Amino acid sequence: MTIGGAGGLLSGLLGVGGGLIMVPLLVFWAGYRQRDAHAMSLGAIIPISLASVLTFGAAGEVRVGYAVVLTLGSIVGARVGVGLLARIGERPLKIAFGLFAAAASILLFLR
Amino acid sequence: MSGITLYAALVAFGFLAGATAGLLGVGGGIMIVPFLTLAAGVSQHQAEATSLLVILPTAIVATIALHRKGIGDAALALRFGAFGAVGGVVGALVALALPGHVLRYLFALFLAAVAVRLLRDGLTTTQTGA
Repeated sequence: MTIGGAGGLLSGLLGVGGGLIMVPLLVFWAGYRQRDAHAMSLGAIIPISLASVLTFGAAGEVRVGYAVVLTLGSIVGARVGVGLLARIGERPLKIAFGLFAAAASILLFLR
Repeated sequence: MSGITLYAALVAFGFLAGATAGLLGVGGGIMIVPFLTLAAGVSQHQAEATSLLVILPTAIVATIALHRKGIGDAALALRFGAFGAVGGVVGALVALALPGHVLRYLFALFLAAVAVRLLRDGLTTTQTGA
């Protein structure tokens, strides 16, 4: 319950899935295996993001057109990503994504 | 960016975000929110709200795919997420109460923490194969 609540809070506050906090908590606190923690976190994100998006939606903040277009790309991308999982090492991915996050963080501070 | 260029960029970026999410298990919202604010000129609140609307269908599709493969317990995950939904509403209400620039700094701090963790993991963990 604490894990779900923390994930939900992060999700609603920052507009992310919350998996980033739920997966490690499920693995280290609840003793889940990595793969099961991912599945648990993904399923939990459904009611969490639904509740958050409805809250934002009530305030009129959702850009539906952008979301539809991003989703089209995202669903295809997710399938390709899962398919590539066996062929790409985790380390270069983490480094590449880490660099992206660092650059975006700096740009957001400067904006 | 505007018009057709923007929409083409959105599809391409959605693809990239989805692929990262599929590969690393993270990356949907974390990539979409800064893209929308920095490249599409959307406000921080709108970017977060829009990101959540992308995450929802993506999580549904991914959960169905995992369920078909027999990975995880979808019913249990949904019940677990019901507690999280309370947190989601509270988080969204807090976000709506905060001014846009404060929320943007909070997001940037979170992103910096994510960057540090990923780079540390990527640079230190020994390769154990895929």
